[in-house]
Amino acid sequence: MDGFRFDLSAPHIVVPVRITGMQRVRWVNLVLDTGSTSTVIDELVAFRLGYNLESAPTVSVTTVSGTSQASIIVARQIFALGMTVDEFPVLVMPLPTQLRADGLLGLDFLRRRNLFCNFEKGILLTLPSSRGFLHRLAIFAQIFPAL
Amino acid sequence: MDETRPEPIEQIRQRYEGEWLLIKVTSHDENGLPKEGILLGHFPDRKAAWEATEFVDGEVYVLFAGPTIPEGWEAVLHGWFSL
Amino acid sequence: MFWVRFDPTRPDVRFWVRLLGPRGIVWCEMVLDTGSSRTVLDERLLARAGYDLIAAPKATVATANSRVEAKIVTVRQISALGISADDFPVLAMPLSQPLGVDGLLGLDFLRRRNLFCNLEKGILLTLPFSRGFLQRLAIFAQIFPAL
Repeated sequence: MDGFRFDLSAPHIVVPVRITGMQRVRWVNLVLDTGSTSTVIDELVAFRLGYNLESAPTVSVTTVSGTSQASIIVARQIFALGMTVDEFPVLVMPLPTQLRADGLLGLDFLRRRNLFCNFEKGILLTLPSSRGFLHRLAIFAQIFPAL
Repeated sequence: MDETRPEPIEQIRQRYEGEWLLIKVTSHDENGLPKEGILLGHFPDRKAAWEATEFVDGEVYVLFAGPTIPEGWEAVLHGWFSL
Repeated sequence: MFWVRFDPTRPDVRFWVRLLGPRGIVWCEMVLDTGSSRTVLDERLLARAGYDLIAAPKATVATANSRVEAKIVTVRQISALGISADDFPVLAMPLSQPLGVDGLLGLDFLRRRNLFCNLEKGILLTLPFSRGFLQRLAIFAQIFPAL
């Protein structure tokens, strides 16, 4: 994958993510959030993807403003930053209206690859974990243009 | 809803700065990301944009044309989820 | 180059950060948080470091599940990952009780260098912005062992 370009002047790194739900496929913008242990989407998004939140299991979420509950759904597929993951659990909660993204791309997804962020050029790369010297050289070919 | 020819999504964003957009994706870039699309509607809030998706099949993109938080605000989106 | 190790088995990315206050140096355990537009420090820790929060100006903050007000404190110096920032404004919020952490290192701080994160091995690396082909090679030589 080539580097993903993000807007350097924006308050967050925003990533377009394709979510395949129960009935539909939708592209949404999620905030790249290494401070969130899980990936989260807004309730409206989950509902429109065809999920019934009333019967979904819930978990506790602790943020800087206190504790609340989030529902768990399983997205049939998530595609983001060049990675495709099937049957991916996603948490659902009502996000504040002042947040103009539809969710957070959390560490549960991001851990699958290594991350390189060029904050001068606005390039984000995900890279596989290396499996030896030659593999590291191959990864070099991917990182070098983004430096 | 507006129905026009496909155009670069970035162009649509610039035209409707500050609004939520519903776009039918018509092409992708080399990384598989939406590149061009047809604007199906523009809305003042997230709720209205997502309600409009009810009537649309296929690959659609809902996004806000602007920064993730209002000017003068900060965001602290840390979350610890106990699974 | 600056290299920090974190525990990859933890749900979040945590490491130690040096804070300089009126009463001297305080070491803080902070979380890498690209979801925070501004760095956050626990208000009790800031008070212990000698900062006066009473007259501090306020900011409106969107969290993952609410909106709150936080005070803005300008710290004399904060150093982490090879980056040192002087007269750096941070948000003061009550963190330690709900989250068990002293602070969240946000994008305002992280943007000052490029960032490489090996989430499998638990390595965080910051790198200077590159200034030409030879410098890119030198930077890559620094990343190579962390892959």
